Amino acid sequence: MIWKTAWKNVWRNKVRSLVVIISITIGIFGGIFGVAVMNGAIAQRVDAALNEEISHIHINDPAFRDNYDIQLLIHNHEQVLTTILETPGVNSVSSRTLITGMANTATKSAGVQIIGIDPEKEKEVMRLNETTIPGTGDFFETASRHNLAYIGEALAKELNIIRYRIDEAVLDSLAAQELPVEVLDKLVPFSGKRFTSEKAFKNEVKGVLSMKEQREYGALIKEEAWSFRTRSKMTLTFLDSEQMQTGAVFRIAGIFDIKNSIFEMGQVLVKNEDLSILTGLAANDYHQMIVRLDDVESTEEVTAALSGKFPGMEVMNWKEIQPDLAMMTDMVQKMYAIFMVIILAALAFGIVNTMLMVVLERTKELGMLTAIGMNKKRVFRMIMLESIFLSMVGGVAGMIVSKILIGLTATRGINFASYAEGFEAMGFAAHIYPSISTSFFITVTVLIIITGVLSSIYPALKALKLDPSEALRTE
Amino acid sequence: MKVLEIKNVHKIYNSSEVKVHAVNGVSLDFEKGEFAAIVGPSGSGKTTLLNMIGGLDTPTSGEIMVDHINLAGLKSSALIDFRMRNIGFVFQSYNLIPVLTAKENVEFIMSLQKWDKKERDQRTLELLKAVGLEDRINSRPSKLSGGQQQRVAVARALASKPKFVLADEPTANLDSKSTETLLDIMEELNREEGITFIFSTHDARVVKKARRVITVEDGQVISDERKN
Ligand SMILES: Nc1ncnc2c1ncn2[C@@H]1O[C@H](COP(=O)(O)OP(=O)(O)OP(=O)(O)O)[C@@H](O)[C@H]1O
Ligand SMILES: [Mg+2]
Repeated sequence: MIWKTAWKNVWRNKVRSLVVIISITIGIFGGIFGVAVMNGAIAQRVDAALNEEISHIHINDPAFRDNYDIQLLIHNHEQVLTTILETPGVNSVSSRTLITGMANTATKSAGVQIIGIDPEKEKEVMRLNETTIPGTGDFFETASRHNLAYIGEALAKELNIIRYRIDEAVLDSLAAQELPVEVLDKLVPFSGKRFTSEKAFKNEVKGVLSMKEQREYGALIKEEAWSFRTRSKMTLTFLDSEQMQTGAVFRIAGIFDIKNSIFEMGQVLVKNEDLSILTGLAANDYHQMIVRLDDVESTEEVTAALSGKFPGMEVMNWKEIQPDLAMMTDMVQKMYAIFMVIILAALAFGIVNTMLMVVLERTKELGMLTAIGMNKKRVFRMIMLESIFLSMVGGVAGMIVSKILIGLTATRGINFASYAEGFEAMGFAAHIYPSISTSFFITVTVLIIITGVLSSIYPALKALKLDPSEALRTE
Repeated sequence: MKVLEIKNVHKIYNSSEVKVHAVNGVSLDFEKGEFAAIVGPSGSGKTTLLNMIGGLDTPTSGEIMVDHINLAGLKSSALIDFRMRNIGFVFQSYNLIPVLTAKENVEFIMSLQKWDKKERDQRTLELLKAVGLEDRINSRPSKLSGGQQQRVAVARALASKPKFVLADEPTANLDSKSTETLLDIMEELNREEGITFIFSTHDARVVKKARRVITVEDGQVISDERKN
């Protein structure tokens, strides 16, 4: 009966209860959803870092990373490889040659790290091959008698490996974006023509469009007309094993897009067989072995095992290579905590405030209940139950809304397209798939219940202080 | 058989600077089955007296014995329990639980006393029938008239078969028709169940129905008459 009465009492002032419940719902939802988005972003970031940027474990000479000395090779490579592959938890290994050099095109140049790989082995460890921008080529799959290089989107743009062309497709898409017909007509004559520099293209467009048209549509036309040049040439220069300046022409095999401009800018992947001819190193000389594990969770274990097996080498896992990744995961844990504390505090204040109002309003009724024989324990329990019901209804509603919305967005993701540039500069994807662990959900539920119970105590104690004879006299 | 003895009870309120001698040496006995009215002008101490009898308030001095048990000897939790088992209350402003139906309001104390569900239902129905509300058992108080609400309150007060029922101006908010109905019902329950009723009132028609009339003034009993 007390449970039933408490439950009915919750709905006594429907509007007020609903306001409280809705604000709890929004609070809980905001908290959980915010955490889910952060969580998703971090998980994607870590995933991307591991799959596209660094892999799980690097093994190299202890001094190698100081200045990437070309002579600091891995000795007994075959034997090392076998030993690593035999270590439990290791999934695959790729051996790399790392050279610091410059990438040059006719107009631009950039400092890069040239990475010599065996594409087949590399594909087992990294997923970079899956990030090729459609239409720009592939990950060393098409055979060629030229040297090939696989570069990032940001570097391709930096090196100006771009061409401009107005063709049927571009004209159609411009028409679809409501470019006036008279402007379109002016562009038709140079349909099919290619421009390898932005300047040449601009000059050509300037020639046919009026100043006003240029101002209004120039940017749009440029945006539609550009594309990456495929199989374009670039020169890679570096010092060989004899410290002599060397270099060669490489064609772009493909361009990758990994949502991390720093890695996109700094890395050029080439086939080791092409590179070794230029460096003067033997075909089986490598600077670094990168390791993929079956399970990220075993990172520490396998690192320790490999360190034990190769005392003379540097064995570093991803947490050591990119401490910010580990730190980020750590920091986010703390942020979740702060987030939840704030929300739960708001919840507590809401409950305390509402329930104090309830007790005050019901002074007379509570006095009557004590008069007719409802003891303090029961009055206390009834007020507690009311507060708990109130917080539970809000809590449960918040959880359900969060669960549904996370479920909906987890598969489709949320596109923060308008912030894409900022996100990518930090290495985050702009398309985020919120995710939350069941354990977090359970923790939040438990915390809501605890908060609900704790914040009921004060109003319930207030209810006990009522003197029935006084309470009944108040009209 | 005495159900209630009041021995030289005083109540002095000291709250503000002024000392109020609300009850000033009242001694009264009540037998089982009495139907007694306490009358007197406003401020004469009726409510104070009833509250002390009901254990809602403690006398400054004097003794109140319910069924030979001294209320002063009970700790506050024991006192609440004692009230639940022995005393029924009817209030001027009905004071039903607004979220519960008539039936649930009547059942409330029985459920606190952990009565068996079947017995509880039976007693509730019996009482609601006795107060003439068998067709309104599922109505909430807001859907009932004042008279009907007060009849539910009487049924509630009787639910746990108390030693006596205290009613502080039960008809003050009722029209004359409802007052008459309520009094008739109370009288009938008094005769049938043998339950003692003690009620305060200002209403002459109510006084007429009482078989004992106790008049108080300035906290003192000035007359105590029994009729037959
Ligand atoms: N809590 C209190 N503190 C101080 N004085 C009080 C208190 N309660 C009642 N009194 C005073 O005690 C006296 C008796 O009051 P009581 O309410 O018992 O009178 P009553 O006969 O019931 O009057 P009414 O017919 O108006 O209900 C009054 O003078 C009242 O002002
Ligand atoms: Mg009074």
